[in-house]
Amino acid sequence: MAEGGVSKMAEGELLIKNGVVFDPINGVKGEKKEICIRDGKVVAELKSPNVKVIDAEGRVVMPGGVDIHSHIAGGKVNSGRLFRPEDGRKGVAVRTKVCRVQSGYSVPNTFATGYRYAKMGYTFVMEAAMPPLAARHTHEELVDIPILDNAALPLIDNNWMTMDYVKTGDTDLLAAYVAWIMKATKGFGVKIVNPGGTEAWGWGKNCGLTDAVPTFDVTPAEIIKGLAEANERFEMPHSIHVHTNMLGHPGNFEVTKATYDLVKGVKTAKDRQVIHTTHTQFHSYGGTNWGDFVSKADAISDYINQNEHATIDIGSVILGDTTTMTADGPMEYSLHQLTGRKWTNHDVELETGSGITPFLYSGKVSVHTIQWAIGQELALLVKDPWKVALTTDHPNAGPFIGYPILISMLMSKKRRDEAAEEMHSAIFKRAALPSIDREYDLNEIAIITRGMTAKALGLHEHGKGHLGVGADADVAIYDISPEERDAGKIQKAFLNTKYTIKGGEVVVKDGEVVATPAGKTYFVTPECDEGLTEEMLVKLKDKFEHYYSVNFNNYPVQDAYVPNPYEIKASWSG
Amino acid sequence: MQTIKLRLKDEVSGGVGGVARVPVEADSLTPDKLAGKSEAEIKAVKVWWGNREEKTGDLFEVSVEGEEGEGEGEEAAASADEVKVVFEGDLSRVKHIGDGMKAGEIEANGDVDMHCGAMMQGGKITVRGNADCWAGREMKGGELVIEGDAGANLCAMYRGEMTGMTGGKVVVGGNADECAGQYMAGGEILIKGNAGMLAGLNMQGGKITIEGDAVMPGADMTGGEITVKGKVLDRMPSFRLVETTVGEDGGEYKKYIGDLAMTERKAKGVLFVK
Repeated sequence: MAEGGVSKMAEGELLIKNGVVFDPINGVKGEKKEICIRDGKVVAELKSPNVKVIDAEGRVVMPGGVDIHSHIAGGKVNSGRLFRPEDGRKGVAVRTKVCRVQSGYSVPNTFATGYRYAKMGYTFVMEAAMPPLAARHTHEELVDIPILDNAALPLIDNNWMTMDYVKTGDTDLLAAYVAWIMKATKGFGVKIVNPGGTEAWGWGKNCGLTDAVPTFDVTPAEIIKGLAEANERFEMPHSIHVHTNMLGHPGNFEVTKATYDLVKGVKTAKDRQVIHTTHTQFHSYGGTNWGDFVSKADAISDYINQNEHATIDIGSVILGDTTTMTADGPMEYSLHQLTGRKWTNHDVELETGSGITPFLYSGKVSVHTIQWAIGQELALLVKDPWKVALTTDHPNAGPFIGYPILISMLMSKKRRDEAAEEMHSAIFKRAALPSIDREYDLNEIAIITRGMTAKALGLHEHGKGHLGVGADADVAIYDISPEERDAGKIQKAFLNTKYTIKGGEVVVKDGEVVATPAGKTYFVTPECDEGLTEEMLVKLKDKFEHYYSVNFNNYPVQDAYVPNPYEIKASWSG
Repeated sequence: MQTIKLRLKDEVSGGVGGVARVPVEADSLTPDKLAGKSEAEIKAVKVWWGNREEKTGDLFEVSVEGEEGEGEGEEAAASADEVKVVFEGDLSRVKHIGDGMKAGEIEANGDVDMHCGAMMQGGKITVRGNADCWAGREMKGGELVIEGDAGANLCAMYRGEMTGMTGGKVVVGGNADECAGQYMAGGEILIKGNAGMLAGLNMQGGKITIEGDAVMPGADMTGGEITVKGKVLDRMPSFRLVETTVGEDGGEYKKYIGDLAMTERKAKGVLFVK
């Protein structure tokens, strides 16, 4: 349990005055306005005359940050910690009156994860890959992370049930299975990682978009389309969340574009994207090998600009050492072959797998330099910030603690140019970044770090990512004026807030954690027809009987593993 | 010259009534950190004792002899060369003696616990007894003399790191346990007794001299030099004999290169066996 015990909204009233508010969901672009908080929620006005007041004195005020994609809990994160003691020794901090002991940089311990996100003004983080079989472990770690509200996306794509239904074209039954998995894992939405490829990895192979998955006779393209349609059978808050095939391979931008095209015609059950592709930096590569490797962020951005059904997060590189970890087993093996560094691999029976290997992104290496450029190019070339989210695919392209660096880069052409000068000259020949003049303003930063992410996840309807009346009182107050142009000062401000307020309670003050309430876990309960569910269960129970090493009845995560639940019901939309 | 004597109090070191003895971590008691401090100030320096932060004066009997160093900050660091810290009492549960030290001298009269001289950058440490595991871990410079035996992982890297000792000089009067100089990239180690299994494992540079016997020395080495004057037990089969040469001591040595298990291209390590 996180310290502070059960999650509760802070009681009483709080007034934040004189702040310059950026609340993009409500169209507030840097206006001086008061924020009234009562019992953990934003309200129109306060009752009591003697409320607690925070004078923001012209500082930047935003809703709490919402991270759409990060690996913070679960089997492979913990394996990463165990297998990288040399990472654990970085960032060690002793226990204080408020905080528990901290360790780690790219794979911080659960406590450090909560504190560091909160210090950056983030209050919600999505764990982006939960193997259903390891859902209990994932939730145990989420519970252990202080302060942050959270949710997790179960991996459903390399799953034998899914592939069987995709093969027979039974989308309704696939939807029944998706619904069952969401309930069994207390999951939030459909995660797809190298569909078919991870299953093929069990046979030492990988899959392109139209290659047949060994023994299943379905293609990744069919899996993606099938799951997109199954997802829209319900009013799911989030679209399918896709790590497309051939991650990290030169020339993969064609695969990424083809993936968007696959689901272009799918009708959504809610007003949002059909597909969210994640860490798109790793999927925007041109060339045929590492020798002629080039950025194709322009081609991907053009597609996103011209179409309305897809959103992305950038997965931008932070230079330095990190730990890569993904359910994309074959990719991790390739990376290990490339670097010769240690590697670990894991198979999750019937469902998915994973691999982990350390990686050093160096500004002196041409390929890394181009990768570094691509993530930022995506953010700068996609015209509508409501289609793009700031991420580092923590910890794959770099640890989340690097977000303030990215923010300062996006906001300052000068900073980018200075950085590029220090890097491998390939950045001037095989990437577009040095030729891009655009600079983000604070409103756009607020969009890609909270507004867009909350909307893409459907959480804006549940009080996240904005400061309208009724929203959760999650607020970040940054110690800069809205006119600040100095990249260094911007970076510093976004690393340590003046105040972070979570559910009406001050959790960070002057860059120090002062309270550690437990966060809530958001999960989705799709409401599925009983007949369909019964029919699906016959097949599922057969799988358990013949193949799973666990019993059907022991599989679902019990309520006790989610002590602070926030349930979102998703009704059948047909 | 100033001598700071720190005698660990018996009630701190004693395992009274079978209670497990809680280790003291002495990395804040290096000459460069204590230079320029008065006796009262030294007594107030914080030291970890298990999971509690205590005052040096509560754990050690402190006495200061000779001229006090002068100045603060930069000046104090300069005067650290004139400071000698002497540890006395039962030091077998005192860890991190001289960890990160930059200058001056430390003398430890007795057996010391783990991480003595770890991350050391300069100055000299003399241990008049045995040193437990990880002595000289990731050492960068300076001199570490262990009159008795050294435990495992002498001058090695921290778990998971890929670089061990990079500079400085270490002398072990007795034997060293396994994995001495693992991932060593520079500096010198002289072991007057025997070395346990896998001395110089993954070694990349620097020099290890073993006057006694060694077991499987140099496995996975890609650089550096190991000399064994005694017997080599279970020599790695992946080393190739190049020639027979005469060493500095006039003795005849077989020169091997390896470890070929790391591929021919990377096998740049040299192993001399008398």
